[in-house]
Amino acid sequence: MLNVSNLNVFYGESHVLHDVSVSVGQGEVVVMLGPNGHGKSTLLKSICGLVDNAKGVITYKGKEINGIATENIVNLGLIYIAENRELFPHMTVLENLKLGAYSKNARDHEKENLAWVFDLFPRLVERQKQFASTMSGGEARMLAVARGLMSNADFLCIDEPSLGLQPSLRHEIFSTIRQINEQGKTVLLVEQNIPQIAELADRVYVMEEGRISFEGDKDEALSNEHLREIFLGM
Amino acid sequence: MRLKHMAIIIGVAYGIMALLPLLVGDIRFLMNILIMCLIWAVVASCWDVMMGFAGIFSFGQVAFFVMGAYCSGILAIEHHVTPVLSILIAGLFTAGMGVLVGLPCLRLAGPYVALVTFGVHMALQPTLRGEIGIALGSGGSVGLLTIPPINIFGYSFSSANIVPTFYLTLLVSLACALVIMFVIKSYWGVAFLALKDSQDFAMSLGISAFKYKLMVFALTSFLTGIIGAYYGHFYGVLSFRMLDLDLFSILMVMMLVGGLGHYPGSIIGAFLVVAGSELMAPLGAYRAVTMGALVVILVLALPNGVMGFFLKRASDRAPSG
Amino acid sequence: MFSEDTILLLYEITDVLIAGLSTGSVYALMAVGMTLVYGVTKAFNFAYGDFFNMGGYFAWILMFGIGFQFGGYVTVLIVVMPLMFLVGYALEKLMVAPLRKRADWENKVMMLTLGLALFLTSLYTVVFGVRMKSLPPILEGTLEVGQLVFSYQDILIFVMSIGGIMVFGWMLNNTRIGMAVKAVAQNPIGAKIVGIPKERIFASTFAISTVMVGFGGILLSQKWFINPMSGGTIMVKAWVVTAFGGMGSIRGGLYAAFIIGLLEAFVGWLFGMSYSIIALFILLLATLVIRPQGLMGKGD
Repeated sequence: MLNVSNLNVFYGESHVLHDVSVSVGQGEVVVMLGPNGHGKSTLLKSICGLVDNAKGVITYKGKEINGIATENIVNLGLIYIAENRELFPHMTVLENLKLGAYSKNARDHEKENLAWVFDLFPRLVERQKQFASTMSGGEARMLAVARGLMSNADFLCIDEPSLGLQPSLRHEIFSTIRQINEQGKTVLLVEQNIPQIAELADRVYVMEEGRISFEGDKDEALSNEHLREIFLGM
Repeated sequence: MRLKHMAIIIGVAYGIMALLPLLVGDIRFLMNILIMCLIWAVVASCWDVMMGFAGIFSFGQVAFFVMGAYCSGILAIEHHVTPVLSILIAGLFTAGMGVLVGLPCLRLAGPYVALVTFGVHMALQPTLRGEIGIALGSGGSVGLLTIPPINIFGYSFSSANIVPTFYLTLLVSLACALVIMFVIKSYWGVAFLALKDSQDFAMSLGISAFKYKLMVFALTSFLTGIIGAYYGHFYGVLSFRMLDLDLFSILMVMMLVGGLGHYPGSIIGAFLVVAGSELMAPLGAYRAVTMGALVVILVLALPNGVMGFFLKRASDRAPSG
Repeated sequence: MFSEDTILLLYEITDVLIAGLSTGSVYALMAVGMTLVYGVTKAFNFAYGDFFNMGGYFAWILMFGIGFQFGGYVTVLIVVMPLMFLVGYALEKLMVAPLRKRADWENKVMMLTLGLALFLTSLYTVVFGVRMKSLPPILEGTLEVGQLVFSYQDILIFVMSIGGIMVFGWMLNNTRIGMAVKAVAQNPIGAKIVGIPKERIFASTFAISTVMVGFGGILLSQKWFINPMSGGTIMVKAWVVTAFGGMGSIRGGLYAAFIIGLLEAFVGWLFGMSYSIIALFILLLATLVIRPQGLMGKGD
């Protein structure tokens, strides 16, 4: 479904991604692991049109999307869910969700998606009329994911959903992602915690220093000594 | 830019200036233009130091110029202070005003500093024209008409003795230019580069943004006040019309042409623009229109002015490493 | 009972009050426009005052330059408002947007718009001459209540300005574009993520503020003359109002506008018009020292 070939990204003078090639099949959950600051977020952002100066080929459903304006990429069905959440602080939960459905594609399905999202995240229903800035860390994270779903995207780029969450909430968010996947969405996930990932991932990539250093399915990942060292050691 | 290079550019520019009277010394009109070049070079440089170098977005330079000019003029006319002394006093007065304006400004970011200083500029005009001004001796709408020229040991530096006056102006202008050059290249200079790049980090190193910025306000206002006063004594006449946006924008063009933050670009910018502005005089009322359009075009097309253009050529040619 | 003199004084004060409210309402219009642009795009438009005059001049050209007076002010608004929108949109796209990519872009935008201000001011002077023009009032005549005399013009200006602001406020909170504008103001990154076309919103916001200030220009040009050189003063006034109310706060801008409109009217009445600028300046300085974020600013 999504294919990235030889992606090179520069932030000013610094070469952040080196010849990165990644692919994600429809319906998969693909997890990208790796140390912080090594380019994982940049990859997700490049796919979703949030990075200038990305050189390389990115195709979605066979269509070349590198260089297209962000709003068009969202309309095609890809959405980025930021680790910083990037919510609209002085608007209510409901308004945030509605804004998530800004693109034409999303607007056509706004009602159904809203119902679905409230079903997935019951806590948001109670908090509908509250300002986004008053939400706790976990709730804000849920809102960010929910808002992403409102875009009616088939392909979700989720950036560290469990960051800063207590273990119980982490479990919750991962199981929600599992549910989302079971309902037909493809997910490319960036994360740091290996144990939970085991339940979730179909395939795994590892990025170190802007390069892909490992690619394989779940079992290959779990039996890899090198990976276990890096991540379980943290 | 290294001190050596800066000094060379300043030396060459002023050197050429110094030789020009040999060619056109008897053409009064041209000599006047050259003197204006030298005067505006100082104002433009001070403004460049504030904006391009210290990163303080102040729009008060012209106001300080006028303050210095009026102060010295009034002292000389109403209180019969000899011009050399009144110029110095005016400089100190303007420096004081600079500090006064700087104190509230410096707690604020970008647009607010511009707002306050522009507000000073706008408030100055009605003040000079109105009752307060008249009470102080500003001459209201008429302005000051009889400012005495600088008089050293009985020798009067006025347009009657244009060539010696030119050389005096050259000296004053050069002195100011050198002061600015040394400030930029001194520890202050390093501090400002650090502050511009990352204020928080620099402050964590103990560099007090507030202290340095206030000192810059004081120094540039001092120099601007002095040269403003000098202008008054040379020109003999002052009016509140100097506060029109016309002059303001021409100064801005000088800095943009020279290259904001690329001292001594503003000196060259001033020379070029004053000359160009005189050439454009036949355009009459359309001159200001052209100036405005020039600012817009320059900001868009030549972000680093003439200096930037040359610096780029120099760095393209030099081997990297 | 009150003496003759006191009653006359009260009537005079009421006159000043009305004048203050009337200008205050136009200031409100301008402040809302300015705070909108700054809050959303973070760009500062030094030529704002010249756009105010542009509205007046466009109206004048239509009515007297071309001589098309059919339909009165309705035609004027139908023609001039979209024109102002186009001017603002084009300006943002051609001049501000390219600067956004550069370091220090906010400063560069200020310098560019300052150049633009000079260009427009001198252009007006050249084209229209130094003598001031004025527009005919929409409604002539006065309303008499007892011994109080209100001019219909003042009332109309007040009503139309407030009306304009209310329309704007409604649009901001109830239309999709309005929500998008708020979104961009609150979190430009978030806006980009959800697929809001940020650049188009910037341009539209700029254009809307141009329309608002032009509208204000048309309104006030009926009462006062259009002075080609007043662009700078008008801009500073709008700025003072906005800063006093708090950059980015629409409600703050509204309160500030009326407070300043009234302040200006009263200082002008008591001491003379030239002191009102000084009074404004003192107010500004006081604000910046005591409470820099203005009445209701969000502490930018």
